[in-house]
Amino acid sequence: MLFILKRVLAAIPVIIMTSVIIFLLMRLLPGDPIMMIAGEAQSDTSPEVIAQLRQQYGLDRPLYVQYVAWVERALSGDFGYSVYNRQPVLDVVLPRILPTLQIGLMAWVLAVLISVPLGAYSAVRLNSWTDWVGTVFSMIGAAMPYFLAGGLLIYLVALRWGLLPASGYVSPFTDPLESLRTTILPALTLTFALTAVLTRQSRSSFAEVLNYPYIRTARAKGLSERGVVVKHAFRNAMLPIATILGLQLGTMFSGAVVTETVFAIPGMGRLLVNAILSRDYAVVQAVVLFITMAVVFANLLVDLAYGLLDPRTRQG
Amino acid sequence: MEEVSDMRAEDRRMRFDRVRHGLRVLFRNPLAAVGTILVVTQVLIALVAPMLLPHGPNDMDYTSVLSGPSFRHPFGTDELGRDILSRLVAGAQLSLSVGVASVVLAALVGVPLGLVAGYAGGILDEVFMRILDSIIALPPLVLALTIAAVLGTGLVNTTIAIALVSAPAFARLVRGQVLSLKHNDYVMAAYSMGAPVRVILFRHILPNAINPVIVQASLAIGFSVITESSLSFIGLGAQPPQSTWGSMVQVGFQYLELQPSFALAPATAIFLAVLGFIMLGEGLRQILDPMARSRG
Repeated sequence: MLFILKRVLAAIPVIIMTSVIIFLLMRLLPGDPIMMIAGEAQSDTSPEVIAQLRQQYGLDRPLYVQYVAWVERALSGDFGYSVYNRQPVLDVVLPRILPTLQIGLMAWVLAVLISVPLGAYSAVRLNSWTDWVGTVFSMIGAAMPYFLAGGLLIYLVALRWGLLPASGYVSPFTDPLESLRTTILPALTLTFALTAVLTRQSRSSFAEVLNYPYIRTARAKGLSERGVVVKHAFRNAMLPIATILGLQLGTMFSGAVVTETVFAIPGMGRLLVNAILSRDYAVVQAVVLFITMAVVFANLLVDLAYGLLDPRTRQG
Repeated sequence: MEEVSDMRAEDRRMRFDRVRHGLRVLFRNPLAAVGTILVVTQVLIALVAPMLLPHGPNDMDYTSVLSGPSFRHPFGTDELGRDILSRLVAGAQLSLSVGVASVVLAALVGVPLGLVAGYAGGILDEVFMRILDSIIALPPLVLALTIAAVLGTGLVNTTIAIALVSAPAFARLVRGQVLSLKHNDYVMAAYSMGAPVRVILFRHILPNAINPVIVQASLAIGFSVITESSLSFIGLGAQPPQSTWGSMVQVGFQYLELQPSFALAPATAIFLAVLGFIMLGEGLRQILDPMARSRG
């Protein structure tokens, strides 16, 4: 229990720091928020009115007071008002979470299914040609821009062969089958980058575990290599892979920005891009905050899971 | 007089031998070899090819708009009838410059910070690392997007945004190196002889910490090229009339069905450029740390 408490406490400074960074970044954005609100109403607002608005929104108070007020409002679910969508920010953001999550999850599962066996196989045969193929494959995945993978998939699968839709999104709650059809290509696009990192990690993770004495014992018992890898090495090798999986949530959101633009998916990534392009800063702030918190919490969860799976890591 | 020129010739020969030896080591590693070839080819193309191509990047030919690949236009033409190959080559200069410039900037910011934090230790280091952890918690492209939004569009701002996103990795790397080096005898010796901190850091520690920095730099250029192109693809990077590979892909995507090479040719160029830098970085890592490969 102490271990869980320790990890949770350690995450708090990171959460505070990231929120401060986001708050300050938003303050640095071009354009005075008051001029934007006032500009909505009238272009030639008098200085008195501006000063009054400034006071009304608390912008005349010191930065740290503004920060605390912002955090208080955010914690109670008040993220401000989207000027562009003419809706509360929360109402704009919430429906965008599902598509990103759905596509991300599909990509994640696919990436694990591809890279863990590939990494394990490379680790068993270090420096063999299959190992090199794996290395080159993961580098290709890392170098592949989302719009190239996506562009090729759209051109071949959607436009030339007409197998799947080229863009758009259908919610799984309205039509599960059509939803699957609209998300396969974006998920595949995301999978490339995820697979690259995961294959590397799996390879080095399995390579390390396979050197452990208990593996030698298993081999000495006369177990088949397959049995050694699948039954004995697997569990220990999966721990660092799980960590990387948590970290990859960040990659997933980075990927979502481009992938959702390519496939016209109404998710968090596209919302962020549109909000930046239309200078809808309340939305930008909320989306960045949401993404960051998601990443921090995912890492915390992985950390905790790690401790539960492997008692050795509970100290320190 | 003759002796001096003899010495100069000798000097030159030695330097030549060293370069030749370096190249031999480089080309013995398959990844480094392919990476070097890819990188050198790109740079050559960016520098030399504009002089050899028959069409300028902005020459418009209204008689062949969005034409497919042909002998006259190997990758076809864009929506204004401009030759895509010529535009690719012109874009190479910009895309690669942004990639290299942002990494140089990132290293100039990150390396000194890492040196100081690692050497000073204590509360300064602690605070510094917490800040870095927080920045690293932000997804890189999301952070780059936000900084680009703060600074405004255009390639200079894009370069700065990418540099700011890449700098923490350099700082962290160098800090780790300093921590493992600073208790070495030769550092202690320099310290006890009264060498100023600046000299200890840059003369004694940095040269021994530089190998992983070089590896990181090569990988970071790959990341920069891909990030710049993503920002330009989204519409936050290069603004017309400037055109990088990423902005070509952005426009080309609208004509994907009609003229696929419009978007896919620059996208492939980005891929090959990034692949080159990643392979070079990985290869260098394996050469500089021979144990790395078997350890995985």
